[in-house]
Amino acid sequence: MKMLSAIWDNLKGLYSLLVGMCITGRYFFQPLKTVHFPRDVVEPENLASYRGPLELARGKTDESKTRCISCQMCAKGCPGNCITVVKSKEGKNPVTWLYDFTLCCLCGACVEVCPTAAIQFSHRLYLVSTSREALVLDLLKDLEERVAAGPLPAAGAGTPDAKKPEARMPDAGGPQKAAGGSAAPDPEG
Amino acid sequence: MSNFSFLNPFGVLDEPGTYMGDFYSNNFARKAQAGNVILNLGPQHPSTHGVLRVVVEMYGEYVVRSEPVLGYLHRSHEKMAEHKTAYGFLPNMGRVDYLNAIGWNWAYAGACEQLAGIECPERAEYLRVIAAELNRISSHLVWWGAFVLDLGAFTPILYAFDDRELICDILQRVTGSRLTMNYFRFGGVGADGDDLFFSKIRDFIPNMRERLKMYKALVTDNVILRRRLEGIGPMDADLCVRYGATGPLLRAAGVPRDVRRSIPYGIYDRFDYEIPVAETNDNFGRYWVRLQEISESLKIVEQAVAQIPPGKHIVDKAPKPSWKLPPGESVFSVEGARGEITVHVISDGGKSPYRVKLRAPGFSNLSVFAEAAEGTILADAIAILGSLDLVIPEIDR
Repeated sequence: MKMLSAIWDNLKGLYSLLVGMCITGRYFFQPLKTVHFPRDVVEPENLASYRGPLELARGKTDESKTRCISCQMCAKGCPGNCITVVKSKEGKNPVTWLYDFTLCCLCGACVEVCPTAAIQFSHRLYLVSTSREALVLDLLKDLEERVAAGPLPAAGAGTPDAKKPEARMPDAGGPQKAAGGSAAPDPEG
Repeated sequence: MSNFSFLNPFGVLDEPGTYMGDFYSNNFARKAQAGNVILNLGPQHPSTHGVLRVVVEMYGEYVVRSEPVLGYLHRSHEKMAEHKTAYGFLPNMGRVDYLNAIGWNWAYAGACEQLAGIECPERAEYLRVIAAELNRISSHLVWWGAFVLDLGAFTPILYAFDDRELICDILQRVTGSRLTMNYFRFGGVGADGDDLFFSKIRDFIPNMRERLKMYKALVTDNVILRRRLEGIGPMDADLCVRYGATGPLLRAAGVPRDVRRSIPYGIYDRFDYEIPVAETNDNFGRYWVRLQEISESLKIVEQAVAQIPPGKHIVDKAPKPSWKLPPGESVFSVEGARGEITVHVISDGGKSPYRVKLRAPGFSNLSVFAEAAEGTILADAIAILGSLDLVIPEIDR
């Protein structure tokens, strides 16, 4: 009797292994679910809600002008002290808007406190660098470059924020150039 | 030192004091019996889930004594709290335990809200429950994959990550990040869920239920897994209580303790769900409890999505980054994926909290290991370590 139950146990065990093999075999023939990064990137819809490094929103009347009024709310509220805003002598607009991405924890405190909605999250997933200096971004310059590159593309399928951040297609292959050219030595050159 | 030989580099203790190691292993080796081997598991071993180091005294294949060595990932979160504003410490909460960020979010936000007397809007409470339960599922999925990986099966972790990606997509809709989520604010949550967020959840729930059936057929019913887990790693209720172990460990020892039930917080008293309890006291009990918790969490999410009322996701005049905590202290516990998370906030009314104490469940759960692994073979000790569901950043904080 004991021997019979031992044989039965082993048969049951063998069956459980077969079931497992069937499942993995079925999945073996299903299409790939992963994305092979340098050759292929995730769909931009997936990035619509991704919070990447900060960028300045386009101005309401003149697109290349920032909405920032240099009130320093963001710089004071930032837990990582990664924002430097210097006010110009003539008006309210800033002359320098430096953002140190190495210190940023993407918490969104600056975006939430901004009274003019001048700051927003970008969707730059592929921002990498081999030097720290290249990650200190000059956002005013970045804004100019973006406006020069073209008008705002149609906003992607619904974002949770009312302010729709513009969809930016990722640079596939190779590290994206840091937008701010703040004395960033090219590691290769 | 002079007795060190390259033929015997791992320090077999023929004579006491001949072992070459660092402070911890030398101190540990002092009590070792002659002839036993001192073995370092980790800190860079894949089965120790991060940078945990366990010094083990081995008699052949058997574990005689063991001692976890911590501190390889200490980031002084508690000290950081004393130098940041109460709001500025919120993003740290996503980084204490990277698998269960929302649980820690809730513990800290809850403690501060309790101290300041802030009430959340109804919709925010529902969004909190949805996010916390989805995060619990994703945490259990990673544990499930990694645990089975420890036991030698590679494939299940790929399936677990496949499902976890869906949860990451859902939570990214509202939190903006996939891992270190910073969703909670004092008096609500950071962003409201949109239609796509809810429709994604509605799609995810039946999909996950199907996958749970597949998990059962593939792994839970597997004879190799059963023989590796059943009857191994006994931890009775007495042991768990002595070390303060909580969460699935305690529930697998037959104690139906779950903070969501025993000290209800948020709106958990409105949902219909069960607290899975196993009486078997072994590794399989802990495995079973966690898998049951996934389906119970799915039930809660399903009810919350069906019941969620319209309204605001955060109170009017929610605290700003420069907000000061009122003087006083408060303690708030939530049920995280690994056990009871408690945050104790003391404030003297200054710019930043006077002291924040973070009680990580993993720390107490790990301390059970030394006693539970005594006398088992090494492979079983690894299974016990895996069944504790350790996340080292949370233990070291």
